[in-house]
Amino acid sequence: MIPIKDDNPQINTPYATYLLIFLNIMIWLIVQNFGSGVQYEESICKFGLIPYSLIYEKALTTCLELNQFGYLSILSSMFLHGGWMHILGNLLFLWVFGGNVEDTMGSLRFICFYIFAGITAGIAQIITNIESIVPMIGASGAIGGVMGAYLILFPKVKVHILVPLFIIFWTFRVPAFAMLGYWIVLQIFDGLNSFGSSGGGIAFWAHIGGFFFGVITIHLFKDNELLHGHPYHGWKQKNDASSIWDNPKNKQK
Amino acid sequence: MFCRQMKNEDLNDVINVIDTHDEDDAEDALRDFENNGINFQWVITNNDKIIGTSGFRPILETDNSAYISWTYIDKKYCKQGFGNQIFEFILNELNKVKVNKIFIKISNYEDKKGNSPYQAAIKLYEKHGFELEIISKDFYDKYEDQLIYSKDLRSNLDENILKKEEKPTIRFVDIFEIAETEGSYSFEWKVVNKPLFQKRSFTADDLLIGIEAVKERKGRKVFITFPSNLPLIHSPLQEAGFKYIGELKNYYELGIHEMHFVHDLG
Repeated sequence: MIPIKDDNPQINTPYATYLLIFLNIMIWLIVQNFGSGVQYEESICKFGLIPYSLIYEKALTTCLELNQFGYLSILSSMFLHGGWMHILGNLLFLWVFGGNVEDTMGSLRFICFYIFAGITAGIAQIITNIESIVPMIGASGAIGGVMGAYLILFPKVKVHILVPLFIIFWTFRVPAFAMLGYWIVLQIFDGLNSFGSSGGGIAFWAHIGGFFFGVITIHLFKDNELLHGHPYHGWKQKNDASSIWDNPKNKQK
Repeated sequence: MFCRQMKNEDLNDVINVIDTHDEDDAEDALRDFENNGINFQWVITNNDKIIGTSGFRPILETDNSAYISWTYIDKKYCKQGFGNQIFEFILNELNKVKVNKIFIKISNYEDKKGNSPYQAAIKLYEKHGFELEIISKDFYDKYEDQLIYSKDLRSNLDENILKKEEKPTIRFVDIFEIAETEGSYSFEWKVVNKPLFQKRSFTADDLLIGIEAVKERKGRKVFITFPSNLPLIHSPLQEAGFKYIGELKNYYELGIHEMHFVHDLG
């Protein structure tokens, strides 16, 4: 289920979303060498989040020896990716959902929100995989936060999704609460199933941690004045702000 | 009959023309010319004697809207067609500078006998296609309302044009008594950069502070206007007890009107 766009109008230019997409791409190209070679492998070890390295400060493998970034790796890991599909998939989700969430809080606040969502995602992954020596990388925890916020802010807005059926791709419009609700349920299910596995693969608990960070803290980050009059905010249809003057009691006598 | 631009040396004669109708208006006009100059003001002469005046004032921050200013014909020369001539001349000048919409403010004052010095002018405006848009009750004084007439000179008016809403940070900076009125006040506001951790919009409390200040000055009413594309103004205005008078359509530009509000201090 791949979101490709939504019916939510973009009110202001999403500078922070553009910046985050740009940063991710630049790091992929320059630091991770397009995902190839020794530079790429070393970047994951150096800057990825390795729970064992953080908690025990011991190096059991060469990769762990390279991992000297300490707690800053919670931040740096957010901007690394494991392959072209990984980065393209993440940035597509950020493109679809990020701009509208940024509209509700302004660019500076959105960057703070994004970073804190990513940090929460990292912590969630550490807690659930404390002995893991596998580096965790990817923006999907932070983007999970954006999606959680989007669910609370714009539950009814229609999202266009691409669904592959054999060799054909179909597009459907579904309300955000359905698409994002389905997505988080899947993450939780897969996350529970991942307990006891040897490591590697998708960091489901990072997705879940980031998502619920967004759901819970959006009330602190959103600017109600920016949201005022937004046609898709919440569940109820909003009246035009000036309609209060239609009431005869509010008119000059 | 000849129309020409007003010169500084015409000032006394112009004031005398206005004085033939209303002494208070003449005083206000003199003050206005001294403060704001005589650009865009014309006089009509008959045998080299100034017998009337008219003009307009471009409205800043609008897409070429203008107000008609100080339009009078000497009482001795009224009902002889001179008012019509100078008014048509001014409308022609407005067309030359491609003004989009013209507004005229006028009083509905009547003396004790029920005569209004402005009735002839109102008939002149209506004859030239001006329509009444707003009546602000008791604007100039108790029982003396302000009427605002307007005429749109654009040929293609899209009534359904939608304008993007804006949410600037607005703060009140001054309280002043409106010129030519007795006890009508207004609040000057401006758009500022949003301070960190503060709201964009003013609050009802901000308005009430201003209203209290007007009460101390023994004001009767507070009038205030805002563009129609600011959604954050309505709640605090309504909470503070302001009432809606009406709007001047397409005042700022097509689709953005000037909304007028009033608070009656009783």
